[in-house]
Amino acid sequence: MFEYVESAPEEALVSRSARGDEQAFGVLVERYKGMLYSMAYRLMKDRGRAEDAAQESFIKAWAALPGFKGESKFSSWMYRICYNTCISELRKKRPEVELDEAMGVGVEGPAEEFRNRDIQAVIHDEVSRLPDDYRAALTLFHFNGLSYDEIARLAHKPMGTVKAQIHRGRALLKARLLERVGWDNLKEVMWQ
Amino acid sequence: MNCDEVRRSVQDYVTRELAPDDRRRFDAHLVECAECQRELALMTAVVSTLDHQPVLEPSADFSSRVLGSLSRQREFAPSPWWSLALAPLLAGAAWLARGPVERALETISSRPGLIHLSVPAVSLQQAGIAAGAIVVLGLLVAAGGAVFCWQTYLRD
Ligand SMILES: [Zn+2]
Repeated sequence: MFEYVESAPEEALVSRSARGDEQAFGVLVERYKGMLYSMAYRLMKDRGRAEDAAQESFIKAWAALPGFKGESKFSSWMYRICYNTCISELRKKRPEVELDEAMGVGVEGPAEEFRNRDIQAVIHDEVSRLPDDYRAALTLFHFNGLSYDEIARLAHKPMGTVKAQIHRGRALLKARLLERVGWDNLKEVMWQ
Repeated sequence: MNCDEVRRSVQDYVTRELAPDDRRRFDAHLVECAECQRELALMTAVVSTLDHQPVLEPSADFSSRVLGSLSRQREFAPSPWWSLALAPLLAGAAWLARGPVERALETISSRPGLIHLSVPAVSLQQAGIAAGAIVVLGLLVAAGGAVFCWQTYLRD
């Protein structure tokens, strides 16, 4: 049997998958699982639910692939499926999840030795506390690298709303970073 | 630019969405304002962290679980080829069931108080024709399914 290499061109893998080639689809899963899982995790803030959502996204993609006409990039198409899966999961009534330990970080008072890594940890933690809409918009923009226009179409929102959510999200993060760490600690790290 | 304008454009400055002219005016204000330098440093930290979020890996058996679900889907998916195998089976079953069905109908119709059913005698020849018809029907369904499959398969 023909063995697919990691570097096989995406169009070939996509069209073979559309015809039911599971091996070709396996390569696409390997290639996109990290992105989809990370995206789902950032949207849902829970590892178990993120894995389920990413898995569901791949299964949906497999079923929908014969209808994929290549009008958009395959990556954008996958992100769309994953986004819709996560959003519909988020809308379901669920018990409020505890933040995963990896996302949370405690910054207690002025730290002896505060590092760049800690600043990032605080920002990541604050991202997880943002309203779902803001977090989704920021994830799609910064992590998935989508444009305002692409996000607007994906989320069925006016572009102005998307821009405003991204801007407000960043402003909130900046304010919370300053509040939690304090300028004296921050400037030592930033301007060392 | 004054402080307010700088605060409003600081995000676009960091993400390089600010027009060149505005960028120059932003820079000009920045050199003389410590408060706005602070704003810029904070926003740079936020944007750079957001831009460099690591790709996380799902659990080790993630891919095999995904591909496992696909195989299960496929196993249960009705394939047009099944009707090829199904056709002679149906014909055989019809042939074998002929005798018992006849006897059952006779038993029912011979009971008192029930509507009398007359069961026409089925000859060996008639049963053969019926079985043949079922086989032909099965083959037609299979051929139709196969044509549909190939059209989907060859579409690109
Ligand atoms: Zn200023």
